Amino acid sequence: MTQESILNSKEGWKEALEIAKKGSHCGMCRFDFLETGLCPSGKKFGFLAYWPQGRMQIFKNLTSGKVKPTEKLKEIANSCSLCGICDKQCNFATKLRPEKVANALKEYTNNLDESEFHNVPEDEIIKGLREIVGENWATNDPIITSAYIQTIIHPDSDLNFYVVMPESTEEISKIINFANKHNIAFMPRSAGTLLSCATPTVLSKAVCLDQGVIIDLLRLTKLKIDPKSCTATVGAGITAFELQKEAYKHKLRANLAEAGAHVCSNIASTGITSTWQNRYGWAADNFTDLKMVDDKGNIKNITDLDIKNPYTTERGFSDITLSAPGIITECTMKLHPVFDDEDIVFVPFEHLKDALSMIMKLAKRQVGLSLIVLSRKYFSNFLCPTNEIAKDFEYICKKYLKFNWVVDVICNKDDKKIIEEMADFTIDKEMMKTIMLGAPKLSSLKESEFMKVLSEEENPSKAIFAGPMRKHLEKGLEASPEQIAKVYDEDLREFFKNVYSRPHMTDIMWHHAFRILPSRLMRQRLFFAQAGMIWAADENKILKLVDMLSEVCDKHKFEHMLGFILPMDDGKYAFFEYDYYYDHNDPDAVKRVSKALIETTENCLRMGDILMVLNYLFKGVYRKEHVLYPIPRAITEEEVSLFRELIQMILGEEFKW
Amino acid sequence: MVKFLSEKWIEIGKNFMLEKLDPVKDLKSITTSLLGIVEHIPPDDTTMNFYLELQEGKLIDFIVNTGDTFEEKNAAYEIRGNYGTYKSILKGEMSLGIAVLKNRLSVKGSKMQALKLIKPLDGVISSLQKITDEFE
Repeated sequence: MTQESILNSKEGWKEALEIAKKGSHCGMCRFDFLETGLCPSGKKFGFLAYWPQGRMQIFKNLTSGKVKPTEKLKEIANSCSLCGICDKQCNFATKLRPEKVANALKEYTNNLDESEFHNVPEDEIIKGLREIVGENWATNDPIITSAYIQTIIHPDSDLNFYVVMPESTEEISKIINFANKHNIAFMPRSAGTLLSCATPTVLSKAVCLDQGVIIDLLRLTKLKIDPKSCTATVGAGITAFELQKEAYKHKLRANLAEAGAHVCSNIASTGITSTWQNRYGWAADNFTDLKMVDDKGNIKNITDLDIKNPYTTERGFSDITLSAPGIITECTMKLHPVFDDEDIVFVPFEHLKDALSMIMKLAKRQVGLSLIVLSRKYFSNFLCPTNEIAKDFEYICKKYLKFNWVVDVICNKDDKKIIEEMADFTIDKEMMKTIMLGAPKLSSLKESEFMKVLSEEENPSKAIFAGPMRKHLEKGLEASPEQIAKVYDEDLREFFKNVYSRPHMTDIMWHHAFRILPSRLMRQRLFFAQAGMIWAADENKILKLVDMLSEVCDKHKFEHMLGFILPMDDGKYAFFEYDYYYDHNDPDAVKRVSKALIETTENCLRMGDILMVLNYLFKGVYRKEHVLYPIPRAITEEEVSLFRELIQMILGEEFKW
Repeated sequence: MVKFLSEKWIEIGKNFMLEKLDPVKDLKSITTSLLGIVEHIPPDDTTMNFYLELQEGKLIDFIVNTGDTFEEKNAAYEIRGNYGTYKSILKGEMSLGIAVLKNRLSVKGSKMQALKLIKPLDGVISSLQKITDEFE
């Protein structure tokens, strides 16, 4: 049967496939950020296949013929009770309805003839792995392994994989020894979000596992706060959200990435990038100890006396590494105090130059705990509950409000005074709550006379957010949980009314620590984050960098914008993320994004003073001083040739310059 | 076509490289030496190594030994990995460069310098790919 005929054979399957295709593997269905509880079958069975995101991938794989039904498919499909938790979680983040896919998968499976299911024989490798982790935690079933496509397996790969879910460091050590003895490759997997962003692009084959054992780290769930030493011991299966939730119970805060990122793997892959980075640091600044298993299966602590200096790395543009120096199974994270007088201040700007100048001044003077310049695109996507609303909101920011950039600072009350003295006006926490709950109404004013009149003001943002019109805005937006809940599907409105009634859900400071909103950037599409760290002494150079990135993206014709700039190392460096948005199901778009990715990397290396993501990837365990210094110099023409050779080696002959 | 790491593999590999590879065009006139250590060789989980030396692009030495050291020669570079990784490289499933970047092959000394060497070694690898068809 063709995919078309399969999909036409039952009502709702076409829609289910469309939903599945829009899934971006953001992983928001694997931790409890809305107090709904977790997907019961995912929690019970563990493997990705039993979670909503896995079911979506499996439905795609089955209907495209990538994988054939096995006996396990029955368990995967029927262990879903259609409880609806996934719809709530996914709808908040991406506006998708994964339960429709789960239902289609059930129907698809239950419609099959018994003869269509095949048994997967147990081979010697799977027997050996099961001896290590137990019968239920290792599999070679292609249906289960196929759920990992797009986040660690290349979509064109043969499904020649094993998945194993250890629950301790010792088990991981045994797995690695076993894999080495049998000459099988292995690779750890945590949330898989980084891989899901890289997999559709030209980087796919370089970062994915080609065959062998996927070590899924989800079962390493140790989490213990030590308030006395202000540290937390965190297993590799723990997400940023889960750690932050525990830390906040003790009035402590960890420096963490997006909510769904697993803490240990985030350290290993990119270090931890956050708005708190200027104050709390980057890379090895974030932990006091790591437990790792090396590629020989040896268990080590980074504080052991008999290992070579673990905090340093080779430097230079050609030092590229595509895997971490080991599997981090446990880390001891530093925690920081949450102060009673913390507050948040927003300062909108029309021009990036002015926003940059302000944030760098603050960073150098060590003002503020969390500092960032956000683009209007990030601001709109974070605050708005749907893509359409975000788009209109962004349009209003650009066309009428001259609100293109916003300096966003969390600070104590003394620092707040400094910022207020520096700024013409500021937006406060209460106003942000109003904007968040009133975003749908505000967006609906896109073509209104009111906006046209407002745009004639000298500073429209000031007039509406901090001037005489503020009270009219507050009244007009009718900002309330009831209002925002109206944008959701009818059956979910009551739930979202309750969600937005919880004080923390509209507390913009809470969102800076718990970071559940960035997943909205992956709402039904993907983006590739071209990121790097630039020496910040010359702010004009940062602006030139942004112009260059924009020109290259324009040339390759896709949606793009600088996402944010945040200071680090007391404002000596600036971390930037420039995002390329594209439909990950469109091969032509993928090609254009890939070209831009390589071209902008090369241009950055030619500019100098910039450390690109390709050069700091998998270096998060080292000291930032050893990664960032000496300041990267511009590469010579001779070195450009070597860079191209290296890239060609990574990307293969298929990639053409 | 011969078995990986056999005496015959060395002999045929040596002749193939001497006959078919141009020291300037194919091997970029490089002068270097490399010790490749192959671990976990089936069926007895043994370790072997091969030593390869080039002078101005000309093959001077190509020797196979047992164990993980070769004391007679002091190689400029040492790469170490399991049998499966070498097998993937010789079957053309993975490039030498990717194996180094993914830490499937560990390099003793500067990884950066080793990567610079990889391009000129392409000819050696493709020669060995052409003559090797038996494993395990």
